[in-house]
Amino acid sequence: MSEPTLNEPMLNVTNLTAGYGPVSVLRGIDFYVNKGEVVVILGANGAGKTTTLRALSGMIDTGGSVTFEGEELVGQAPPNIVRKGIAHIPQGRGTFPELSVHDNLEVGAYTRKDNEVDADIEKWYEVYPVLKNRRNQLAGSLSGGEQQMLAVARALMGRPRLLLLDEPSLGLAPFLVQDLFERFGRLNTEDGTTLLVVEQNAQLALGIAHRGYVLEAGQIAIKGTADELMHDDAIRRAYLGV
Amino acid sequence: MATKYILAGTQQHRIWKYATWGLFIVVVMLVAFAYVDTGTIDIGDNSYNLSMIRIAKAVSFGVAILGLQCVVGFTGQVALGQSFFVGTGAYITAWLVADHQWPYLLTLVVVVPACFLIGMLLGLPALRIKGLYLALVTLGMAAVFPSIVKLDAISDQTGGSGGKSTAESKLVSPEWATSIFDGIAGVLQAVPLVGQYFGDGDLSEREADRMWKFVLFIIVAAICFWIVNNLVKSRPGRAMRAIRDNETGAAVSGVDLAMTKTLAFGVASALGGVAGTIYVMEVGIASPDDFTQLLAINLIVGLVVGGVGTLSGAVVGGLVVVLIPDWAASTESVAGVPERWLQGPTGSFLLGVMLIFLTFVMPGGIVAGFRKLRARYVQVVPRPPDGSVPAAFAAATAGPATDGEAMLSNESDDELVHTGSDSGSNDE
Amino acid sequence: MDLFIQRVFDGLANGSAYALIAVALVLIFKATTLINFAQGEMAMLGAFVALQLWYWGVPVWIAVILAMLFSAVLAAGIERTLIRPFDPKDHLPLVIITLGLFLAINAFAGIVWRFDPRQFPEMFPGGNALDIGSRGLSWFAVFTIILTVGVILLLQLLLNKTKIGLAFRAVSSNLESSELVGIKVGSTLQFGWALAAAVGTLGACVYVANPLLSLEPSVMLRVLIFAASAAALGGLDSIWGALVGGLAIGFVQSLLVQYIDFIPSEMSLAAAVVVLLIVLLFKPAGLFGTASVERV
Repeated sequence: MSEPTLNEPMLNVTNLTAGYGPVSVLRGIDFYVNKGEVVVILGANGAGKTTTLRALSGMIDTGGSVTFEGEELVGQAPPNIVRKGIAHIPQGRGTFPELSVHDNLEVGAYTRKDNEVDADIEKWYEVYPVLKNRRNQLAGSLSGGEQQMLAVARALMGRPRLLLLDEPSLGLAPFLVQDLFERFGRLNTEDGTTLLVVEQNAQLALGIAHRGYVLEAGQIAIKGTADELMHDDAIRRAYLGV
Repeated sequence: MATKYILAGTQQHRIWKYATWGLFIVVVMLVAFAYVDTGTIDIGDNSYNLSMIRIAKAVSFGVAILGLQCVVGFTGQVALGQSFFVGTGAYITAWLVADHQWPYLLTLVVVVPACFLIGMLLGLPALRIKGLYLALVTLGMAAVFPSIVKLDAISDQTGGSGGKSTAESKLVSPEWATSIFDGIAGVLQAVPLVGQYFGDGDLSEREADRMWKFVLFIIVAAICFWIVNNLVKSRPGRAMRAIRDNETGAAVSGVDLAMTKTLAFGVASALGGVAGTIYVMEVGIASPDDFTQLLAINLIVGLVVGGVGTLSGAVVGGLVVVLIPDWAASTESVAGVPERWLQGPTGSFLLGVMLIFLTFVMPGGIVAGFRKLRARYVQVVPRPPDGSVPAAFAAATAGPATDGEAMLSNESDDELVHTGSDSGSNDE
Repeated sequence: MDLFIQRVFDGLANGSAYALIAVALVLIFKATTLINFAQGEMAMLGAFVALQLWYWGVPVWIAVILAMLFSAVLAAGIERTLIRPFDPKDHLPLVIITLGLFLAINAFAGIVWRFDPRQFPEMFPGGNALDIGSRGLSWFAVFTIILTVGVILLLQLLLNKTKIGLAFRAVSSNLESSELVGIKVGSTLQFGWALAAAVGTLGACVYVANPLLSLEPSVMLRVLIFAASAAALGGLDSIWGALVGGLAIGFVQSLLVQYIDFIPSEMSLAAAVVVLLIVLLFKPAGLFGTASVERV
């Protein structure tokens, strides 16, 4: 055991295992995310990408070790993990369909005790004016793109230091996806939010990422900087379609 | 004691299977002969009245719970309103016997098809209403039954709120049966030490009549169990279990959902009707407040406590539902328990607590608990389709069975019909 | 005509009690898609507690409020020990648990208080608010309706304007996402159970405070069916729907049964079940419920 140093990664995952009942999905993976980084996890369907994020958030039984800013997360319940500063936008956005847009944003700030919540909501209304127009509408009535905006805004209402994104591009029109990833990039460069993105759209994801991992059958197959991965022949063939 | 292993499909296995049920019936008959003659048993300061009415009620409720097994246990439809059909059967029997002088057993000719049809009809909404909603509607149905039979318009047939009595037509034991009963009683009384529990001398007329009724109930119930046992193993039975385990999966595999579900409801209701007939044969009256939603819930207690999805669970359930309130009512003093607690509906309280408790510690009911216990001593090893002797069996019977035991204990869990696999139909 | 108006109000007064129990059912259904079959019995137990406190000399309204608190604590305990250990998506064990509670609570009340009907103290001034000819409009009916509407308004405020209310609505809408925004789902559901039990207890008290009715352990057996029909009619996840449904069922019960000869009075229960059946068959979302309630 080394003493925690300034260079200790924000999120450090060692020998992570997870599964559903008797089915094990992750078979001991190691990776880390430094503060201020954008890290992407690539992989085919069923490789265990979503499971990785669910394990980090404490939503499934997990083995191994996950430390976030030096604190152990394995064995903690999701609400406690959220309170430490990790937000997770699950696949399918995870908005609250029966709540209004405004309530969705407010519930995103559930763990906050400061009095800047209203100001933050206004800020997001400026970023996404369409949400402001629909503030009293039920979230379930929004379009896919609007829901994704709402999901992002809601997750960031909690002022997380680490944002977990599960296939944000899924089910969105290409021009929306482009826009969304630009937004993620700015979140990182301008606001300093650390991102861990799980994506099938490797090209887009690597475009904003610093580093990446490729997950195959529950194990890390390849890792490297975004640049290296972008130019790795195996990845280009398997995930970039070129 | 070392675990004994039996290979499925062998003579030994068949003997083993039937021996359990055979033993059960012998015990029941012994108890019956003891009951019919001996008034009370004293334990501590409490005397327990061993009237055969209770056992006969247990048979009736056992058959009703058997119906619930079909619709809840095997088909997975949460229908709670079995008391509705028990009541329907009871009233039809009472009406035919009292007003039209039919012999009791003959009324089954009307009760069974009538309840089957009503059950199918009332099962139709279940094709659309599912899960909790179905539970709600069926419980509502059960609640409504008493007010239906109290309707003025049909009070001539149902006897209104006083109930329909059949006291005038008695079920009399034929002479040949009486003499057989006397013979058996005589033999039992001659047994040293335990003979005293079977009373002395010939059975009185009343006792013989009771015995005769009881034998009839056992035969009717046995036929019901035999039919359901075969149904479960037949094609429609497999369709039912397929629906329970995965409705969509069953539908895409070609199971006719509508047909199978309504069939399950029909069979369940017909069995409820038979239970009602037995009830009236024993009690001699069908009264509206015997068939409320409390009976419906009690039958669910029996289903769960006995074991959902097992036939023997219905037997155990019937006994539990009848005997626990009865014993509780007969218990007048227990050290450390305030008397007030023993005078009220203590039995219902115990049933409720038991239901909750078992859901936690023994979700498969008493039958599953018993099987787990039995599996420590005797295990049935399934035989592969090619008929060869499985290696695990050979290993287990040959040497110290440490490895084999671990493997085999997994197999025995399959005996809970819950899994729906073929080894699960070990229940006859 | 006088009789008609009186009947309307009597029906609405009964309907108010149904509405309160229905609201209790809806609260738990919203949060967990579970129907608490023991809701009526829990409410009955609460009413007995209020009565017992009153016997001991506590003023009736304080007794009722204390009984509501008692029920809330009891329900929170039940949720924690008997409900939470089970998978919320697997309904059968939960139905069985609530049925077990139903039996146990009903019998418990029978053991402690026996089955003799007992007069519940008057919660509202006696007499008539308004005399119309030979008939009167009782204060009881007027106050019951006002109280019910008031309680439901308060409940709406609680759910829509407070943080715990927001959490409750979030959990009702999306369990997984609720955890992901840091809501402690377990304690939120516990809050729902407690709230439901308190409202239900008030409903039972109001119901048996009717001078024409009395309190005994089986008093809620029928009321639960009326309340369930009311909740289904309103749409099982709508609180306002429960109010409208409850009033409608009470109204139908008192009018239809009185004026249509071929429906004898015992059949009001059957009428409620038929309403339940028709709603679930043809409009499972009820009058005000969200259509997605039809998840199975």
